[in-house]
Amino acid sequence: MFFPEAMTEVELIVPSKDLLAVTKVLGNRGVFHQIDSTYLGLENLGPNTWQEKAASYSTLERRIQVIMQNLNLAEEYSGTSNFDSIADLEPLQSAVDRIEGEVKQTSDQLAAEKKSLEQLESQLHQLEPIADANVNVGALRKSNYLHSVLGIIPAENVGRLETSLSRVPHAFFTLREDPKKPVVWLLGPRSNSDVIDRAVKSAYLNPLTLPEEFEGTPAQITESIRKAIETSKQKISELNSALARLADTHKKELLQLLWDVHVSRMIADAIARFGQLRHTYVVVGWVPSADLEGLTQRLKQASKEILIEAIPVERSGHHSNVPVALRNPAFLSPFELLVNTYARPRYEEIDPTPLIAVTFPLLYGAMFGDVGHGLVLTALGLLLKSKAIKALRGAASFGNLVIACGLSGTIFGFLFGSIFGFEEILPHHPFFGKFFWLSPLHETQTILGIAIGAGIVILIIGYLLNLYNAARARNWGRFFFDSYGLAGLILYLSFLVWMGQVVANLFTGKPIFPTFVVTIAQILVLIGIFLATIFSHPLQHWMETGHFEIEGGWGIFIVQSVAEVLEKFISMFSNTLSYMRVGAFAIVHAGFTSAVFIIANLVGGGETGIGYWVIVVLGNLGVIILEAFIVAIQTMRLHYYEFFGKFFQGGGAPYEPLALATAQEK
Amino acid sequence: MAGGVADYAAISARVRAMYADLLTPQDIIRLSEAPDFLSLFNLLKGTAYGRYLEGLKDKDINSRRVITQIKRKLANAFYSVIQMAPVQTRPLVKQLYRYYEIGNLKAVLRGIVTVSTWNTETGLWDRVRDVLFPMGSTSVLPVQAMVESGSVATAVDLLHGTPYEETLSFAMKRYSAEQNLFPLEVALDLSYWRRLWAETQKLTGQDRQHSVRIIGSLLDMNNLMWAIRYRVYHKLSEEEVINYTLPFGYRVHDSDIRAIAAGADIASVITRIYPGIPDVNALLENPQAGLPKLEVLLKRRIMEECLAAFVGNPFHIGIPLAFLVMHDFEVQDLIVLIEAKSSELPEDEYRPFLLKTNLLPEHS
Repeated sequence: MFFPEAMTEVELIVPSKDLLAVTKVLGNRGVFHQIDSTYLGLENLGPNTWQEKAASYSTLERRIQVIMQNLNLAEEYSGTSNFDSIADLEPLQSAVDRIEGEVKQTSDQLAAEKKSLEQLESQLHQLEPIADANVNVGALRKSNYLHSVLGIIPAENVGRLETSLSRVPHAFFTLREDPKKPVVWLLGPRSNSDVIDRAVKSAYLNPLTLPEEFEGTPAQITESIRKAIETSKQKISELNSALARLADTHKKELLQLLWDVHVSRMIADAIARFGQLRHTYVVVGWVPSADLEGLTQRLKQASKEILIEAIPVERSGHHSNVPVALRNPAFLSPFELLVNTYARPRYEEIDPTPLIAVTFPLLYGAMFGDVGHGLVLTALGLLLKSKAIKALRGAASFGNLVIACGLSGTIFGFLFGSIFGFEEILPHHPFFGKFFWLSPLHETQTILGIAIGAGIVILIIGYLLNLYNAARARNWGRFFFDSYGLAGLILYLSFLVWMGQVVANLFTGKPIFPTFVVTIAQILVLIGIFLATIFSHPLQHWMETGHFEIEGGWGIFIVQSVAEVLEKFISMFSNTLSYMRVGAFAIVHAGFTSAVFIIANLVGGGETGIGYWVIVVLGNLGVIILEAFIVAIQTMRLHYYEFFGKFFQGGGAPYEPLALATAQEK
Repeated sequence: MAGGVADYAAISARVRAMYADLLTPQDIIRLSEAPDFLSLFNLLKGTAYGRYLEGLKDKDINSRRVITQIKRKLANAFYSVIQMAPVQTRPLVKQLYRYYEIGNLKAVLRGIVTVSTWNTETGLWDRVRDVLFPMGSTSVLPVQAMVESGSVATAVDLLHGTPYEETLSFAMKRYSAEQNLFPLEVALDLSYWRRLWAETQKLTGQDRQHSVRIIGSLLDMNNLMWAIRYRVYHKLSEEEVINYTLPFGYRVHDSDIRAIAAGADIASVITRIYPGIPDVNALLENPQAGLPKLEVLLKRRIMEECLAAFVGNPFHIGIPLAFLVMHDFEVQDLIVLIEAKSSELPEDEYRPFLLKTNLLPEHS
């Protein structure tokens, strides 16, 4: 749970004769994450025929799909069909050729007829607005003084066309209003025909093209086109009937062909990425270690001579190529989503999901501490989870997160003695009073101090996790000299001691550490700055390669170092103080609800008035809505910025197992 | 405000975190100081792009493959932002992302027209695939089928049901007559920017204000560069320049574009819009070299608008948009560096085209 699932690298040596059986097992189990192992094959065996086969099957599959589309047949995979062996390409091709030949002639005729019908309808559509005009369209084309263009234009180009002709005398009519393709008529002097034609062309105005045989007035032409449309529709109907008959005849065969080709294509695709040796194939991939035994047994049943080498991958070292499968309990899924939104963990990294399942609600609750408000949030979480409201179903996966935050807010509500903003009830209750800890509104310094303290603890956990991750990755440069490595941690702790002393002297006049401790801290800050900031990159490079190298020369290095040191101090300071917001929001939360009661008293006429309670209820509602979101942002910010940045690199490769079954079958 | 906070709670935190992951101008300078392509590659592995480059095998370490991997980070950033963007702004971000799809579509069409005439052993699809933006399953383009169709008309037919079908249906008539991709590409560009602008106009309040500022600035640059190029390079007529440009933007107004189309002095139009750009006349004296430099200067203005979005109230779409634009510019910088290092160009030839270095104090 704290790490991505343990993976085992599997290398198989498969005799050529068992190739298909083994591939079938790998595909059916759905646990094998294949990696391209063609580079392990022999190069002198000629071109990879499986790649060609995969391409041929793919082309064939597309052809079958096109035929089925032409026959209006839905694509279905016969999931129950057995596939003992990869289908021979030749008989499949002949079958497809035969059916395609029968279907193509009819479907081509249908396509041509449909296109012709579309053109006729478009011409009719364009003529409709001028159907009443008693002019000879042919005569317009032959006018001596006027240049006229009748056609369709993209609606969004109309304005631009008119603008482009603003300096040329012209008349522009929209004959048919249409949101996408209006019919327009543009007229201008023949002497400007070149300008008009350029404008028409560049505005993508497609002029109406009436065949020469259509002569006369628009009404006469419309009549002729209508007759042609009737004839065309009849032809289309006959062709559709012919295709329906073909569909009935070939449906079963086409579905079987589609399944055979689909499976063969997937198998060929997989095999194309195997490494081919003289009599065997090398197959490399990843399997979750827990599934290895089951897969091994099935593989041995499929091939007696198969060689299986399983190489469990230690979590130590750097494993950018290991696919990462996260298997957290279902109730942690919203937290996993939060982590994945930031980045997918690497194989060797700690999966921070369980950790933030604790810290996220904890920080949220501390900022949203009120029993009543927490319970309202919990109820909202339960509502989300139940999917009872249709509009909120999309957020159902966040139900557990909201519940956890709500419960945490409730617990902090008991600790802060607040229920719907009433601060006097819980602390004086004989039973619940035992849980009362402090009032954020009245003990501001204490709560802010505790928040900073908690922040320091969380940040130190972040540093320690980074050390752990670096040690597991055996990245000793990062372990010792990273900004958040060992030197960084020493620098941060020494900085805290030094700053603690300064702050204590400033506010209380009394030092909290003996002088020699502060002197040691100051020396360590100095050393830490050199190791974890100024020379961090060169030292890490040195640990990695054995070469100490200053990139870009000393001049740039010094300028950069000054900026980095400054930035380091500012970030240590701001990272620590950043957690003060937890205390600050606890105070703000209490402050908001106090304000509600003050307003209720002033406006609502005291506790006996209805107005008082209306304001209290609405005010509480307002505080819940406003603060629930603001606190969520702050909590996320603290995790993404301050916490994750210390130890979490992310960038893991997703685990995508090979599966012959289609999504439909699954 | 509460609505804004609710809408932008998650995306605000996530984008800030991703923004912090972008390279600094100092990083770009450090990368530009790499002596050769391989050193640059190794330096890149130490940045946030490292995780995208680690999987590359030695034989795949070439400029094209590295550029594709680098673009994957940008694609992931878009994917994250689209997933987390509030519902009302999601169409805008999705449309912004279509910029790369338009690029892919143009690349496919160019591939069909040009690469198919080459006599090479490499397949057409393999050659085209290398230059496509890695949009993965988010793209609606059946790119491989289009390329393999081998004809522009058939490829365009395959766009049935996509947002490009209608735009290209008008432009295809011109392509059939002229056998030139220019009308198709212009139609795609105009349609893209019109739709993007229309999406900004659907927003309200701060979302609209910031998106108009950022998208409008991008549009300004494109509109201005189109108008100049159509007049200077293509020698198009006034009416054609007007029809091939757009009447809206942030700083560049329709009157400016029309003035350029009508033959006004381009330098004075630019100086009026952007008084801060120095020596425009000098840039336009030699358009071949000057226009790319002018484009870089305009991009730097866009960066300033993007940086401004990060100041003040964070609960609006301006920050995610600004981040995506800045990320795109960063990728452009890296492409410049990768191409320059692999072609062994001297520093003074590529350095002026780096965008992010402008953020260093000496440039401000």
